[in-house]
Amino acid sequence: MSLIRYESQARAPLVEGNKTYHDVTEDICRPVEAKPSKLWWVGFIISLGLLGFGVVSIYMDIVYGTGQWNLNKTIGWGWDITNFVWWVGIGHAGTLISAILLLFRQGWRTGVNRAAEAMTIFAVMCAGQFPIWHMGRVWNGFFVMPYPNTRGPLWVNFNSPLLWDVFAISTYFTVSLLFWYSGLLPDLATLRDRAKLKWSKFFYGLAAFGWTGSTKHWQRHEALSLVLAGLSTPLVLSVHTIVSFDFATSVIPGWHTTIFPPYFVAGAVFSGFAMVQTLLLITRKVLALEQYITMEHIDVMNKVIVLTGSIVGIAYLTELFMSWYSASPYEWFAFKENRLNVNSPYGWSYWLMMGCNVLSPQIFWFRKMRRNILVTFFMSILVNIGMWFERFVIIVTSLYRDYLPSSWSTYYTPTIWEIGFYMGTFGLFFTCYFLFSKFFPVIAIAEIKHILKKNGDSYKAAYAKEEMESYDEFEHNQSHHH
Amino acid sequence: MNVKKFVVGNFYEETVLFPAVTKVRRAGYKIHDVYTPFPIHGLDKVMGLKDTDLHIAGFIYGITGTSTAIGFITFMLAFDWKINFGGKPFFSLPAWIPIMFELTVLFAAVGMVLTFCWLCQLAPFVKKDHFNLRSTDDTFTMAIECTDKTNEAEAIAFLESVGAQGVEIQHREADWWIGRYDRETVRFGKKVPQV
Amino acid sequence: MSKHYQFESFLSMTGANADERFNHRSSETGAVVAALAAAVGVSVAAPAISNAKVKAGIDKVAKDLLANKGQGLVICGSNDVNIQLLVNAINNAIGAYGTTIDWSAPLNYRQAIDKDFSDLLTEIENGTVGTLMIYGANPVYTWPEQDRVKKALSKVKLKISFAEKLDEISELSDYLVPTHHFLESWGDGEATTGSIGFLQPTIAPLFKTRQWQETLMVWAGKTEPYADFFKNFWVSRLGGETAFLKVLQDGVSLTRGEAAISGGSYSAAGIEGAVAAVNAIPKSSKKEVVLYQSNALGSGTHPANPWLQELPDPITKITWDNYAMISVSTADELKIDYKSNDYEYYPQKPIIAVKVKGKELKLPIIVVPGMDNNTIAVALGYGRTPSLGTTYVDEHREDKKVGVDVYPLSSFNGTSVNLYTIDAELTNTGENYKLAQTQIHNSYEGRVEVVKETTLATFLKDKEHYADDAKHLYETYTKKKGATRADYIKSGTLYAEHEPQGLKWGMSIDMNACFGCGACVIACHAENNVPVVGKSEVLRYHDMHWLRIDRYYVSDENDPNDLKGVIFQPMMCQHCDNAPCENVCPVAATNHSDEGLNQMAYNRCIGTRYCANNCPYKVRRFNWLDYTGADSFPNNQDQTVVGKLDPAVFHMNDDLTRMVLNPDVTVRSRGVMEKCSMCVQRLQHAKLDAKKEGVPLKDKHIRLACSSACAADAIVFGNINDPESAITKEREDNPLRTFYVLEQLHVLPNVNYLAKIRNTDEIIGGDDHHGAAEGHGAEAGHEAKPAAEGAHH
Repeated sequence: MSLIRYESQARAPLVEGNKTYHDVTEDICRPVEAKPSKLWWVGFIISLGLLGFGVVSIYMDIVYGTGQWNLNKTIGWGWDITNFVWWVGIGHAGTLISAILLLFRQGWRTGVNRAAEAMTIFAVMCAGQFPIWHMGRVWNGFFVMPYPNTRGPLWVNFNSPLLWDVFAISTYFTVSLLFWYSGLLPDLATLRDRAKLKWSKFFYGLAAFGWTGSTKHWQRHEALSLVLAGLSTPLVLSVHTIVSFDFATSVIPGWHTTIFPPYFVAGAVFSGFAMVQTLLLITRKVLALEQYITMEHIDVMNKVIVLTGSIVGIAYLTELFMSWYSASPYEWFAFKENRLNVNSPYGWSYWLMMGCNVLSPQIFWFRKMRRNILVTFFMSILVNIGMWFERFVIIVTSLYRDYLPSSWSTYYTPTIWEIGFYMGTFGLFFTCYFLFSKFFPVIAIAEIKHILKKNGDSYKAAYAKEEMESYDEFEHNQSHHH
Repeated sequence: MNVKKFVVGNFYEETVLFPAVTKVRRAGYKIHDVYTPFPIHGLDKVMGLKDTDLHIAGFIYGITGTSTAIGFITFMLAFDWKINFGGKPFFSLPAWIPIMFELTVLFAAVGMVLTFCWLCQLAPFVKKDHFNLRSTDDTFTMAIECTDKTNEAEAIAFLESVGAQGVEIQHREADWWIGRYDRETVRFGKKVPQV
Repeated sequence: MSKHYQFESFLSMTGANADERFNHRSSETGAVVAALAAAVGVSVAAPAISNAKVKAGIDKVAKDLLANKGQGLVICGSNDVNIQLLVNAINNAIGAYGTTIDWSAPLNYRQAIDKDFSDLLTEIENGTVGTLMIYGANPVYTWPEQDRVKKALSKVKLKISFAEKLDEISELSDYLVPTHHFLESWGDGEATTGSIGFLQPTIAPLFKTRQWQETLMVWAGKTEPYADFFKNFWVSRLGGETAFLKVLQDGVSLTRGEAAISGGSYSAAGIEGAVAAVNAIPKSSKKEVVLYQSNALGSGTHPANPWLQELPDPITKITWDNYAMISVSTADELKIDYKSNDYEYYPQKPIIAVKVKGKELKLPIIVVPGMDNNTIAVALGYGRTPSLGTTYVDEHREDKKVGVDVYPLSSFNGTSVNLYTIDAELTNTGENYKLAQTQIHNSYEGRVEVVKETTLATFLKDKEHYADDAKHLYETYTKKKGATRADYIKSGTLYAEHEPQGLKWGMSIDMNACFGCGACVIACHAENNVPVVGKSEVLRYHDMHWLRIDRYYVSDENDPNDLKGVIFQPMMCQHCDNAPCENVCPVAATNHSDEGLNQMAYNRCIGTRYCANNCPYKVRRFNWLDYTGADSFPNNQDQTVVGKLDPAVFHMNDDLTRMVLNPDVTVRSRGVMEKCSMCVQRLQHAKLDAKKEGVPLKDKHIRLACSSACAADAIVFGNINDPESAITKEREDNPLRTFYVLEQLHVLPNVNYLAKIRNTDEIIGGDDHHGAAEGHGAEAGHEAKPAAEGAHH
């Protein structure tokens, strides 16, 4: 019997630097156990500052009203819901990496999944701010909960896409959190067992729930991860589908289209991977984890970006074609005049979106570009800008000129408090990410170890000889191995 | 209070561990557990552990979620207070599919995770004894329980013969208790040495 | 079908509703009238009319009037007595005396004689006036020579003003003895000869005021209260107390009864002199300025309330300001690009300087089609003194006034005041000013599902056109030949219908009858406690009008100034049976009643605004800020950085003004969505009335605010399940004009419209069955191909 787990040399190693299990532990735990660097403090303080700006903006919104924003009688949603969908979309990449790539048995996910899952949770937290604070009477927000009450009891409207959103986003957040945390348990135990300081022992001891590494527990853990992955996959698809239903189930031209569910999901993966790239390019450099988040990881994620970017591009073209082919003059007007026409008030945003989302990711067809850090970083920002504009275009260009020309709206630009709210979510996101990267391992230690002897460079190299053998030789050698 | 005596051995290679487990089991020793820093495929089979039924529990929780959703929504909208929303019928099932799906996933996930924690006895402030702190780092630690029939010296020798290193006798608490990892455990007025 | 011809120099509300319009310079009014007089046979020499279109128009109108003697009427729009005499001659010539004009019941208002006041000024300047008592007049503001009036007043030793508010003349008076509000007063009036109306107090005086009549009596040493004096006078006039009480209860006494129409007697005596005077009216080759009374504020002599300031002008849809309406060609001359995105999508509009006789006024402009190329028009009634109250205060302007006072551009010609001026020079100052419009796009873009309008000639050629459109829609959806609307309602949808109930409300709006005045809008505001948001908020497109009147210009696409017609379409919640808004509210704050109304539960609304986004008619309005002070957050109307509230908002929220609130209607707090409820409080009241009477609910029990206020009976409302109701009859009687806006969406609105038919003989080609053409100009409408021949009536 052989225990060889072996992968062809044709595939690049996923862990570089001849690491042993202990090396892996050391490399990933070192930044957690070190004191925060000056760079960390600078970033953290800036994030807190942005978060503060956000808190002030929300205060103005709650106390004085959503009239603090420039939404109006025609454009009822603007930056608020654009940002909501943008953040939710970003979150989906994390779940895709953890769940879908687990189901597809892609080993490279292990270098990036922990950080990506954390990104998901923080992104969903940020996303959730928008539907909450955009309410005119947020203090009555609990009305969306179907609980027995003395008002009838008055239940809620389950036919409403916004209510589906409530269930979808809370389920998504809960499940992502559970998936992330259950995966973290073994790594927290690692940190707990290495902890020297009193507070570290307390904190990681508490957080690790008493994990020991028992085989039976690992068996259950694997089963749990697999089922959670199996649940999370349709969950990702359904959550962003439900978010797309906010628009698809309405009657407004430009919103009322059945292409939105796959279009949104593809776009979510697209922007999510871009954000993962942004975060990981910085993280791997600052925390010296280039041997775990290798160029191969960057390359493969860029392939996903060009794939999903192209799907998004096809979706745009399909949508455009259908608006004309449908012979619905209102639908065609929404595309021809509100979007395609560069001379219309918002034409610029449509073309910016097209440029950033459809044209620019095509650069990743070229291997050299996929493996270039600066290009990847710049592209990741560009993609996210483009994806922000996609939601902006969908929401604002459809609303501002719809059926009755008498209701066509004046030009909408955000107020300082809308910008502040958005900046505040960046503050929230990065504050959480800074805290996460300081106090938690950004790479899944146990999972790296799990693939180390198959995908680590020294182990792959050790099988170079076997790779050159013929089948008969190989079989002969292995049966005598032990 | 369930302190037992164990013979503990450490392994560093999977190729050594697997045959060792088989040999130890064949020799009739009761393996309390093998602690590894990451899941090793096939180890549970080699140890003779039963497959977990956690996924069945997950399925049941999921079905509960679906039925809860359809049941409650039907009651609320089609029986208790019927409201005409945009001319839609009172029982508008297509509109309820998203929520039914979400609750299925939610119940399944939360239920499974809680069941997992309960089965593995994991929770905040739960404290367990360790045999080797490096078993969450790079060491595979096997703990053999010493019953009255066990000859400790023999067991130690046997373990070393199958490739274990640093074999020793340890007295450890087999169950969990409420505690903090930054404090030492005090049992019956006496400090228990930590690992 | 009746026909309305209009000759004017700018686009007025009346003109907008005309079937055919002709533009001329304001100084040419007299010439046009004289030419028309000659054309209908009055023996005057016709002056030359240089404008070919106007000349052709005069000939056409004359022919039409003569062909319909006894059924026509010419109305004079000028203050000039000579022009009025000529119009009188025309009316006589076309047989209006005794047919369309009844001399036995003349209107008794507007009897003021301008010359009398001019003479009074002279008397004051001569020092012969020692005391001046002022009631119901404000010449410091309204007289052309404002400086002269002010100087003259300084010569009067004692000036007493009875005005209710501190207006311009009261500011200069020595004593203020404010009179009661008319609702606190006793009084009488005879609007038309033979109909006596009484005024009686409806509320005890709110302030320390006294009716001015009583003040005079007190000063005259009479001890009798005015109420007694009034009563005694009328008891003796009417012949007894019973008679007096009856008139008091009825409010009006029509003593005239069924008297015969009097033909009067025409005298041609003044005609020669009138023509000579008219021919001597100074002409101009430069620009001219017309001063008109705005729809909401009138001449401005009565205190306006915030509702009126916030009522959008029927033509320009601008609130809280006056402005210069300029023609398309003037805009081109001044290099104003009114087709740009900047002009349409931002509230900033260029400011022009109007220089006349050494006076210069700066006014923001709005480009309007259908204006005479050389005339600009500005509304009177603005630029009042801020002492009148917060409705007149605009904090953003240096002089703190709302709008610009343009009375100085008027002049006294020795007999009457000229409300126009000639020899004006216009320059583009390069600055701009924000005008608060509630509607920025002016064309309906050929969207025949939204607006159905055509000419009489086109309609007669194919009467079934609109009915066919509907039938085509029903057949397409139901895949059934000969499908009806009932079939469409049932089968154009996946779902079964809800069971029909006893009462089902419906409304019909006749676009031919509606002339855009906005009385319905004000009535709705008053009835439903709709908040006033002030100019700053209207600028941000935050107005709260539940009911609005959409105005679309129908112009020739190639010549935007060739205005064919103006559409007024009142738009309010359509109470759709398949409402898109109801479906998307997460908390069930809006749903459908058994009677077909879309209900809005204010206290349930959490303000996600999805319902407003999903409404294709955009009739829902959101309380963006604390306009009413009704939310539970104290001190949250003092924001400064964004959304600073105008003083008018606070004015509407003080304890006194709050007395105007209707106790039957909730005052909505911040963060809550609201919209037309079909005055559900009145409907409930109607049901109770019917119950008390023990009869089924009928039309007589129902009085909606908007339909009651409409002077043209354009809005008909009632129970469509009642075969006797007016709404059922309206729909049955007008099957060829009845349509539903955006019917193809299958939202099943319960409000139908009657297509607008303009009485012209133009045939409109290329009327697209299938919807919107690609229009995107500010002024362009759908293409209109003029009739092959000239006017062939």
